[in-house]
Amino acid sequence: MSAPSLLRSRAGLLRPTACISRMNQRLLSTTRQPRSSEPSSTSDRQTHFGFETVTESVKRERVAEVFTSVAESYDKMNDLMSLGVHRLWKDYFVSSLNPGATNPPGMPQRILDVAGGTGDIAFRMLQHAHVNNGNPNVHVTISDINPAMLAVGRQRSLALPASHQSSLSFLEANAEVLPSSLEDNSLDLYTVAFGIRNFSNMPAALKEAYRVLKPGGVFACMEFSKVDKYPLFNAIYKQWSFSAIPLIGQLVAGDRDSYQYLVESIERFPSQTEFRDMIADAGFTIVGKGYEDLTGGVAAIHKGIKPL
Amino acid sequence: MASPCVARTARCLSASARRQTASSTSASSSSLRATNNNSNSSSSSSKRAYHSHEHPPSPPFGPVDRDILAAAYKHVPEHGFSLRAIGLGARDAGYPDISASVLPDGQFSLIRYHLVAQRERLADRSREVLLKDEAPLSAAGVGEKVAALTWERLMGNKDVIHRWQEALAVMAQPSYLPKSLAELAALSDDIWFLAGDKAVDPSWYTKRAALSMVYSSSELFMTNDRSPNFLETRQFLHRRLGEVQSVGSTLGSVGQWVGFTLNAGVNVLRSKGVPI
Repeated sequence: MSAPSLLRSRAGLLRPTACISRMNQRLLSTTRQPRSSEPSSTSDRQTHFGFETVTESVKRERVAEVFTSVAESYDKMNDLMSLGVHRLWKDYFVSSLNPGATNPPGMPQRILDVAGGTGDIAFRMLQHAHVNNGNPNVHVTISDINPAMLAVGRQRSLALPASHQSSLSFLEANAEVLPSSLEDNSLDLYTVAFGIRNFSNMPAALKEAYRVLKPGGVFACMEFSKVDKYPLFNAIYKQWSFSAIPLIGQLVAGDRDSYQYLVESIERFPSQTEFRDMIADAGFTIVGKGYEDLTGGVAAIHKGIKPL
Repeated sequence: MASPCVARTARCLSASARRQTASSTSASSSSLRATNNNSNSSSSSSKRAYHSHEHPPSPPFGPVDRDILAAAYKHVPEHGFSLRAIGLGARDAGYPDISASVLPDGQFSLIRYHLVAQRERLADRSREVLLKDEAPLSAAGVGEKVAALTWERLMGNKDVIHRWQEALAVMAQPSYLPKSLAELAALSDDIWFLAGDKAVDPSWYTKRAALSMVYSSSELFMTNDRSPNFLETRQFLHRRLGEVQSVGSTLGSVGQWVGFTLNAGVNVLRSKGVPI
């Protein structure tokens, strides 16, 4: 079993010099099952995996590995790493989108939650739309590239009320190449929460989002971001993420490397304004400044609207 | 500068003439003028250091939010400054219901639209207001022009006055307070500018602070005013402006007296041989 050895080889990548020298040595040394999703045409292009530089297809496989490994302990770890704040972020994210509020009331809405395997966002959407806004005609599709994460979501969805379950569907898909069953101009809302930084080719995923959304449909993304505005808080936050989070991962989930990847990928993710410009480049119209910082910028909500 | 009202030529909302999907009768559209203002909404930090004729401020609203808010504004008298009004506006403008959620501040976006639209309407109407009377106010003092412009701005709230208390409550929420105050400061700055005030001494600050106080208290008074044509509000406004003037002149006199006394004191000490 060579996967653990590969994971082990990534330990200590915090030292930036190490990652460059090591980058191409063992990346292809393991054999894996081919992914069910078709590889995109850019699969040998360079991208980054944490602090490493790898090809897009390798990143896809290794992200899959990370999330297969953390799927079971995902919730517990989120609570510990964010000190529970991620629940507030997600609640706020969903209530700011206000799904199900239609005029006249009860009009159907279709929502796609990409990289939403464990259902955190989708279940909140259903709760908000069906209960708070009293609109049972809101349908949410959970899409994830990783079957292990989807399995967790399926399991958790069994605890939902039946009416919510019937408005929920699951889709195993690569967000960069969404299946043709998702037609052009068919969705009201496309959400991706804490997922887009794991995509190998973000511009392609944004283009796909643009394709499937209706004119006037909303792209909403919640992702870790930069705290550069508050240097002192930033120093504490960096200390926490590079020292404490991998340690918590090791102690609780028994998997240091996956959480090392997590904090590195957060570090590599573009800043609020850069990512906003990427959304605009995909064709979306930006309203206002285009993003909203949460907890000083630890996370940020980006929104774009497909023009009419 | 003969006509202060040509100031700030490009009105922020006027760029919407390029794309008016649902409107044509929005309350502010009478004053909307097409400009070559390329409304690039993506980075609209509406910072404005001074009134510049050549460099208009970047527009506070992009094409999408302007369309939605302009349509929503027509629902304000019935539904108030509410998410429901925004939702109805989005539908009127041809957007799906979900698009209301892109407005960054929810219902405050609609309130801010009202504030900006009325402030710009005031700039557009200022020449008319100042020349309305037979004895043109241009001959009159700056103080009277300020009173006329402030009254004109208060009349901009007439159609939504029954919803204005709830709007004030939203504006006073901590997260919106800075933007509300910035808009109030921009309004009093505009009024003094349009009235032709060119002071560059510390009274620049006191004038704007005093007018902000007078305007906001008159606005509050107006929400409970049931008199015909808001006659009592008008009297209230003139009383407050009069008070500010008398307080201002009193403070000026006191300042003059203090300055004189200090100066004389120093001279007395010098005459006694103190090395000052």
